[in-house]
Amino acid sequence: MAAPLKSSPKDAQVMSAILKDMGVLESEPRLINQMLEFTYRYVTDVLDDAKVYSNHANRKTVDADDIKLAVQIKTDHSFTTPPPKDLLLEVARQKNSQPLPLVKPYSGPRLPPDRYCLTQPNYKLRTVKKPRSVQYGLPMSQKIGLVSQVKPMLAPSLTVVTKSLHQPTVTILNKAQSTAKPTVRVTPGLGALGASGLSRIISSGGGLGGLTSTGQASVQPAAASTSLLSSTAVVSSSSTPSLTLSSTSTPGLSGISTLPSSLPTTGVTQINPLKRKLEDDDYDI
Amino acid sequence: MATTSEDPVESVKKEPGSCQYDKQTLVAVLQFLRKHNLKGTESLLKEEAKVSEDDLKTEEDKKTEVSQALAAVYKSDDDPSLFEDLYQDLKTFIDSCLDVHKVELSTILYPVFVHMYLELVYNGHQWNASQFYSRFWQDQDEHRHEDLARLTSVRQKEHMVGSDNQLLESFKTSKFILRMSRDSYTHLKRHLQEKRLSSLLTIVQDHLFIDVFDGVPRTQQQIQASGGGLTGEVDRDANKAKVLYGLLREPDVQIALDDDEEGGDGDEKPKKKKSKKDPLLMKKSKNDPNAPAPTRIPLPELKDQDHRDRALGFREAKKRVKLDHNHLPSICFYTFVNSFHGVTCVDVSDDSSLMAAGFSDGNLRVWSLTPQKLRSMKGVDDLDIIDKEADDVMERIFDDRTATDFKSLSGHKGAVYSASISPDRAYLLSASEDGTVRLWSLQIWSNLVCYKGHNFPVWDVRFSPHGYYFASASHDRTARVWATDHHQPVRIFAGHLSDVDCCRFHPNSNYVATGSSDNSVRLWDMLNGSCVRVMTGHKSAVHCLEFSPDGKFLASGGADSQVLIWDLATGTMVAQLLAHTSTVYDLCFSREGTMLASGGLDDSIRVWDMQKIMAEQDTEADPSIPSNITINDSASLLLGSYFTKNTTVLGLHFTRRNLLLACGPFVAPS
Repeated sequence: MAAPLKSSPKDAQVMSAILKDMGVLESEPRLINQMLEFTYRYVTDVLDDAKVYSNHANRKTVDADDIKLAVQIKTDHSFTTPPPKDLLLEVARQKNSQPLPLVKPYSGPRLPPDRYCLTQPNYKLRTVKKPRSVQYGLPMSQKIGLVSQVKPMLAPSLTVVTKSLHQPTVTILNKAQSTAKPTVRVTPGLGALGASGLSRIISSGGGLGGLTSTGQASVQPAAASTSLLSSTAVVSSSSTPSLTLSSTSTPGLSGISTLPSSLPTTGVTQINPLKRKLEDDDYDI
Repeated sequence: MATTSEDPVESVKKEPGSCQYDKQTLVAVLQFLRKHNLKGTESLLKEEAKVSEDDLKTEEDKKTEVSQALAAVYKSDDDPSLFEDLYQDLKTFIDSCLDVHKVELSTILYPVFVHMYLELVYNGHQWNASQFYSRFWQDQDEHRHEDLARLTSVRQKEHMVGSDNQLLESFKTSKFILRMSRDSYTHLKRHLQEKRLSSLLTIVQDHLFIDVFDGVPRTQQQIQASGGGLTGEVDRDANKAKVLYGLLREPDVQIALDDDEEGGDGDEKPKKKKSKKDPLLMKKSKNDPNAPAPTRIPLPELKDQDHRDRALGFREAKKRVKLDHNHLPSICFYTFVNSFHGVTCVDVSDDSSLMAAGFSDGNLRVWSLTPQKLRSMKGVDDLDIIDKEADDVMERIFDDRTATDFKSLSGHKGAVYSASISPDRAYLLSASEDGTVRLWSLQIWSNLVCYKGHNFPVWDVRFSPHGYYFASASHDRTARVWATDHHQPVRIFAGHLSDVDCCRFHPNSNYVATGSSDNSVRLWDMLNGSCVRVMTGHKSAVHCLEFSPDGKFLASGGADSQVLIWDLATGTMVAQLLAHTSTVYDLCFSREGTMLASGGLDDSIRVWDMQKIMAEQDTEADPSIPSNITINDSASLLLGSYFTKNTTVLGLHFTRRNLLLACGPFVAPS
């Protein structure tokens, strides 16, 4: 597998000779192609850079000087090596001279401060500033942001779909008054509400498996009057120590399995998430 | 930079070797003439040989420039052709010594060879260097050939200036350490001084460090066993510090059945403790002098869930199968099929319920090894309505609608090289080629934190047995210890000469062992980051490490297909297990430490008798004298070899009941 055929080009033969010289006795045939490609790319890059340098020095031809400079810059830039030993020892000495930090007891899941974690919501809800009085028990005026959720780690391709409701139907229940049986009835955009005027959006759990599941934002019971989805910090304050594991859950965005997955279209000006124009206060991707 | 006359020099260098040789003597002669002010002869010779003034100048200029940069490590004015004769002379001298001294002195040949070669290259005698190399390289040990091949890429002085070649840097900056008995050393010194081999003497003084000990010269076996380090062996001070290898005091188990707390009652119920060796039970309850204080390093307190886990662990331990040389373990093998060289690492949780595997495309998968499926946690609103005081609250928080047999985790940009499940099964860590370590939650199945510190591929990551801390080993020659709630490392262990390939925590979490491509194993103290043990003996990179459950021994396996057992109290080798025919990828001790299983690239799992090693260990010998160490390498230590069909063994794990689980990818033969 190592020696190319006699009929292969001279470059390939030279390359296989180099490999043999450096101790690589057996290799896959495509290694020679990869090495040749790399060599070609590297040499052309160096020669291009050298041309630039010789132009800069107002010379007509490319000198050995220029080539040397080009090679040096390329190696410093592309082929980084791990830091030298003395630097490592110095850094290590400084770090190790500090005592180990004490472990805070009863702190739930031990994670770094929120800005170093990947647990923050990577979207922002847009609210409409309609001056309506907020009365407890009556439907509140607010905009519900429908967010399509993607995997939080990589570049989130977010589309924030907002639906303007004349009489939004979502109200938030206070903890003290939780109904015995939570209803999963959401009638967005319609004037008529349930008799009690209270309905609840329930999000089913664990929807991270699906990629772009449209879900409805679950609103915190504690944040009754705000219309923005609060960050996970609020979640943690409301949970008891024994359920500390839930406190750092990503805000419960997930597909609702009980609701129809398509957006209800009756009587609502619906914006297609895929075709919406990017607006000013959109979260940067 | 004197560059104007580069071109003629370059063109001269392109001539075939023989002309170059003449040219160099010519230049040397001219310099001699110049020194002694023989101007007439000089100009005549120059005219005849057609050597330009510039050639001379550039040689000297170059020398000064480079030497300024290099601090003249290798500068010498010796005649290059002498080097071959010097080396040959050294060889004949060693052959003429008595046998006892011969083996010890022959260890000096490798470093002398390397440094002579580098000196020739540094001083510009390229042709001589290649002659020297081709004549003597085959005399060196097999395991040195790879390093030598890397060294031959350095052929000119310019190659030595850049810091790309790390092997070169190691040779230039660190001294090669040899251990020799006093008799052999005096022989050597006498020979060098008698014959007035000054150049050899300078090499020995500058680049070698000979640690002399008073005692009988070592045998071939002993020397072979501990040789192999990139820069030789270790001097006596490296392993002097005291290592607290005892286990931490077990906390009281309050929840559950009939488990007892104090070890004082150990007489009546010896089996109910989690300790791996029952006779040690009594010692542990009293103050073990070799155990660190429980507060030596801050550890997280135990939660209710942890106490429950421990109680479960005790119950399982009671049903454990006792393994010894008559009762070999049963092995259950999990084979990855259709993985196309994709599986890079495997980890099984401590209670054997979860298995995580990392792949070369950057994904991770977690499987459930029990009939219970993997579920995700419910959403916030659902969690509010469940009864938090119920006994099965831990069951209720999970949503059964999301139950699947395996879960995939994506996030890394490069291949995942290592995975580690936390002892409480809540977190998973993964180390990747993109230089990051990611923490995943195994309850909501998402990425929680990305730890960025290494800028180079991270080869290994491992949770501490108490959770909270984890160690990572990387290509940047450091191992770092992190705490899950700090975004930066809390300890950095620097000292290896090449990339750190694996890292493990000691069962008491106070020490971290690392194995590296410089063929050494080091033990680091968590408290102050110092290196307390350096152990050489592997002839190639160390790929896996494992502490024995009682914390006294460390087993290491590497690319040289050896498995070595080290005694941590002294830092000496206790046993050398030779049976594998290829790289050893994973090691695992049985739960009570009587058996060691090893598996690797040769598609086999081998089981070794650890009990016998411990019984036959010579604890009376004085470890400071290397010749007193006896290394156990008898073939009777191998209890069994189990072969798979073309399935590399990547992971090994003894369950709490001493069933051996093994995992590996099936690699179809091409």
